[in-house]
Amino acid sequence: MKLDIQGHSGCDISIVTEDNELHIHKSTHDPGYVPRLVNQANKQIAAAQTEYQHIRVPKIFEVEQSSTDATIKMEYIYSKNFVEYFENAGFEQIKYLIGAIKYFIDLEINASTMQTVPSNILTDKMADVARKVEKNAHLKDDAEAQELVRRSSEVMNAVGDMVMPVGTCHGDLTFSNILFNGNNYYLIDFLDSFIESPLLDIVKIRQDTAYLWSTLMYHKPFDKVRLSIVSEKIDKAIDEYFTAKYDWYRTYYMPLQLMNFLRILQYGKDDKVIAYLKRVIAGQLDVLNNPKTA
Amino acid sequence: MMTLIVPIAANNAEYAHKLPKPFRQDDEGTMLCVKAITGLPMDVIQDIYFVILKEHDQRFMLKEQLEMQFRKYRLANAHVTILDEPTASQVETVARAIELNGVTGLVFIKDADCYFTTDEILPQNGVAIYPLENLPIVDPQHKSYVAVDDMFYVTNIIEKRVVSHFFSAGGYCFEDATEFCRYYDRLKNYSPLYLSHVIYSMLLDKKIFRPIQIEDYQDWAVTRVN
Repeated sequence: MKLDIQGHSGCDISIVTEDNELHIHKSTHDPGYVPRLVNQANKQIAAAQTEYQHIRVPKIFEVEQSSTDATIKMEYIYSKNFVEYFENAGFEQIKYLIGAIKYFIDLEINASTMQTVPSNILTDKMADVARKVEKNAHLKDDAEAQELVRRSSEVMNAVGDMVMPVGTCHGDLTFSNILFNGNNYYLIDFLDSFIESPLLDIVKIRQDTAYLWSTLMYHKPFDKVRLSIVSEKIDKAIDEYFTAKYDWYRTYYMPLQLMNFLRILQYGKDDKVIAYLKRVIAGQLDVLNNPKTA
Repeated sequence: MMTLIVPIAANNAEYAHKLPKPFRQDDEGTMLCVKAITGLPMDVIQDIYFVILKEHDQRFMLKEQLEMQFRKYRLANAHVTILDEPTASQVETVARAIELNGVTGLVFIKDADCYFTTDEILPQNGVAIYPLENLPIVDPQHKSYVAVDDMFYVTNIIEKRVVSHFFSAGGYCFEDATEFCRYYDRLKNYSPLYLSHVIYSMLLDKKIFRPIQIEDYQDWAVTRVN
């Protein structure tokens, strides 16, 4: 039996029953996406080698690849999405989740080494964002977006070389890439990151906890107030924990969070989402230019 | 001793020409909002504040009617607090009542649209609960639900999601009125804000809530009143 479901990445996702077991088949028929999907599978296979306490990674059984197609066959996880999970989670489950996120990122930090990330990584990425915004039909005539890009370029130029842990990260650690199964949290959709740093995972998780990004993509009715309260709680706990521990977090989190949202903006198509992104980016620039407003 | 607050300041277009339901009387001539508190242990209650809206009072002479009821039921410690403007939520109504009356310490909030009895209210954070299966007719979408663990500690409370067979029966106890107002200040920009959000936010901050077990539950309204 095969059941098609909607994925986040543009890949085809099917639930397949084989020998009374459910499997997920994730596939692409876009030759340009094949290497990316295969890299994703390899990253997931590598991550599955490590024990992360409550954080788990679905097993990959097989990767089929040709020049035009790729299919990953992996374990099916009985799970809830983040909205349903947070709606049903008692306070102690939120506490476990916070602990699991801290533990997972600390393991990533321990598996990484402190390295200098040259300043041009950020400035080149910023130039790339500026080019894409310039070409984006929804943004090229948007004076506000152009001004935000200009102000952001100034920020990125001022950051300089960054010293931070580099070596391992999920690459897209948002709530929509976590499957919630009781107190076990399964990570999916690993991605290559432009800096392979655990700091980028903190940036992505706070994209949801501080800015509620994934709720924009959620179209069923839900208790927005409760989700905001939960997100705020998780965000505060993560921010306080890493602020107390790491100078590199205190120094580089905000510029990298700004870059994160600029990289979403560059592909913006929906007016509502673009308006949201511009609001967020303007707020981040205000904080970066006047840290007392944070 | 504790302070009892009965918030009845919800505004609704139909109240322009219709008496809000909590102020209507039963067959014995008792206002429902007054009847709503008669199942509580009065010996532990120091002051009672019925919180109403000025425009409802002007339209329906509610303060006088309530004071007649207080005399009838010998509620010498009952008072009427009149709010000039409608509030955005039941939480705001309670916070305004606390502020206007200088309430401190233990506070019990009782919904005006239901009745229950309980022998004892302990001086601790708590939520009145009642099992769904004890109701002959259930309207599940207008209730909030309370999950408790084996030792009867509240672990979760949520609006309109059946996470437990216990629902919140319209009675809430807070150890510290000042702390309640601090949480209101923190959450006041969220809408729609319910008492369940305040309690859940406190649970996330490791505040302990116990269930208050009640009996003889009666639900008089589908919609909640502020």
